[in-house]
Amino acid sequence: MESEDGAVRTLPGSGRCSRGLLFGRTHGRTGLSSRSRLLQPPSLSQKNVDHQRTAFLLRKQWTLYSVTPLYRFSDAHLKDYARLLSAFVAAEKQKGLAVEVGVELDIKVSFSSFPDLRGSDQDQAAILVQLSSRSGASRKNSEEKLLWSGWFCSVSGEDFSENVPEDFTCLPLFLTNGAESYTAIVGSWFQKTFDCYFRRLAISPLNLTWMAAMWTGCKVDKNVPALELVFSVPHLPQPLDISYAIHPEDAKALWDTVQKTPGEVTQKEVDVFMDCLYSHFHRHFKIHLSAAKLVKVSTAIASAHCSGIIKFLQSQYLTGVLMLLTELAISQIE
Amino acid sequence: MDETVAEYIRRTVLKIPRDEIKAMLQTWGFLSEAQLQTLNFHQIKDNISQDIVQLCEENSADIKQAAVLDMIYNHIYPNKRMWSVYRMNKTGEETEFFDITDFKKKFKRRLRSALKNVTINFREYEDNAIWIRIAWGTPYTKPNQYKTSYVVYHSQTPYVFISASILKSNLPLLCQALVIASNYRDIHEMELRSHSLDSLKDIVFKRYSQNFQTYYPRPVPKRDVSPERDVRIIQENKNEKERIERVNREGFGDGPLPKLEFAQYMLETMFKSDPKMDVLDKKEPFRCLVKFSSPHLLESLKALAPAGMADAPISPLLTCIPQKARNYFKIREKKGLFAGSFVSP
Repeated sequence: MESEDGAVRTLPGSGRCSRGLLFGRTHGRTGLSSRSRLLQPPSLSQKNVDHQRTAFLLRKQWTLYSVTPLYRFSDAHLKDYARLLSAFVAAEKQKGLAVEVGVELDIKVSFSSFPDLRGSDQDQAAILVQLSSRSGASRKNSEEKLLWSGWFCSVSGEDFSENVPEDFTCLPLFLTNGAESYTAIVGSWFQKTFDCYFRRLAISPLNLTWMAAMWTGCKVDKNVPALELVFSVPHLPQPLDISYAIHPEDAKALWDTVQKTPGEVTQKEVDVFMDCLYSHFHRHFKIHLSAAKLVKVSTAIASAHCSGIIKFLQSQYLTGVLMLLTELAISQIE
Repeated sequence: MDETVAEYIRRTVLKIPRDEIKAMLQTWGFLSEAQLQTLNFHQIKDNISQDIVQLCEENSADIKQAAVLDMIYNHIYPNKRMWSVYRMNKTGEETEFFDITDFKKKFKRRLRSALKNVTINFREYEDNAIWIRIAWGTPYTKPNQYKTSYVVYHSQTPYVFISASILKSNLPLLCQALVIASNYRDIHEMELRSHSLDSLKDIVFKRYSQNFQTYYPRPVPKRDVSPERDVRIIQENKNEKERIERVNREGFGDGPLPKLEFAQYMLETMFKSDPKMDVLDKKEPFRCLVKFSSPHLLESLKALAPAGMADAPISPLLTCIPQKARNYFKIREKKGLFAGSFVSP
């Protein structure tokens, strides 16, 4: 174990690195926890994520899914896909699977590509699908209302995509915002067209603790919210929820004394950080918080819920968060 | 009848569960028994309320009469509101004779002298509880009947339960009116809030079962040793389990616990760690905010130790909630030689 930790070093800004050692995993992606993780994709410093374009991703609740590789998908055919999906949505509506009863909605579908949203050139560019409605009889003055958004992405998923046959495109992470019924319609079209499979991405308490530790250390300038951990104790006669919020400066001060290498986090450091928080809690309340179920983590960077819901709060660290989520999605697929 | 009154009655009736409507109307007493007989309670609620409004129209209901129906509803369903507890302080020790008429007069006078537009209703109940409903307006607008404050005052006690739902600016006026009307000197808010009005009363009136010291030993319950029971099977940790039960009972008491939904602790204590761990060693407080929530908080906290999730005895910060009559705490480090303990809240 020690040599593994020692081997995991990366120079920020250097594009090339030995991918195998980087994540320090001995067992590959078998779902076991990583021994170490990076905060940001290594080649990020060379990319300028367009904050304008990605601003719409922030402060929205995104539901997470893992997606198996798409067969014969090409980002050169996005307009065709938009047309086909549009027809499919219209057909579903005819079948009576419409979302809103009695409202005549003309649904417009758009596909767009986000080359900025990836970890390196080896990742597929993110694909955004949006459903908007054009209401009203007059098409000219009608307002377009965004009904539903979903995007596929892969950040630093090269290990996975390398091992997949030619015809397949790897975009293992899928995020949605909007009515569940639209998610079902879009999902089933993709499943039919590209022979892929969607699954809700649950986030384990272990991974939530990683998020708490990793994101607490990130430098954020203004309006820093507290680090909040929400625990649930469901199996009592009366269920109990415990919210444990730590002042962001104090949480960061603690984390800074725990973390040894900037830009990189190890399992041991996460454990120490959490143990500190648990023992501080125990000192006051005599309750073993570690025995409760961690269901939600909120930091300045992002907030995540165990049922697979994420909210991005800082564009600066967007790719870093996506990298972690991509890794979780891939673990779920394999 | 004013349209706004009609609408208010309609909306109030819609809140009432269908099976309770007739009983509440009878308690209200504004419609005659004959009128109530004409109502069909088996149609959809929308229609029931329309019919009731129609009857009220016949009787020319005004807003004060409509407000009484709202009071009856809130008296039966107080848990829909959030209640805070206030305590008043007297100048002297004398228990003065409480004159309800005088109280009402002074209360109304104080409010009306500051605000022309208020609707004030009083209703008295058997347990010496005086319910007050206040709808607030401004110098230029009529009172908003949908954003009302409720006050429950037990005249034999210094306690007042207030469900505000108003702009902060009206709260001092309300408090002042209460103090003047009840002949107290001042009033302050306790750190105690809940939806369950009865539980708040239980806590401040000490109506929950306290822990009593028993000076005679309790007989050890005899286990029924049936012949089939295999004596090779023993319950490990039986002693520990019994110890936990006993200590837990001492902390929380034996009887039913008052129903609270949350407790909040603002921690401003130091972070202490094992020096070997080489972590944070700051001289300033480690600031945290902890909030416990549950449909029945004290019961769930009581279940933690037996479930193995907490030590027994559990922290007095939790068991002291009913005795200290508060569920908001600020915890600081105890100054002095014995830095390991806490300031009692």
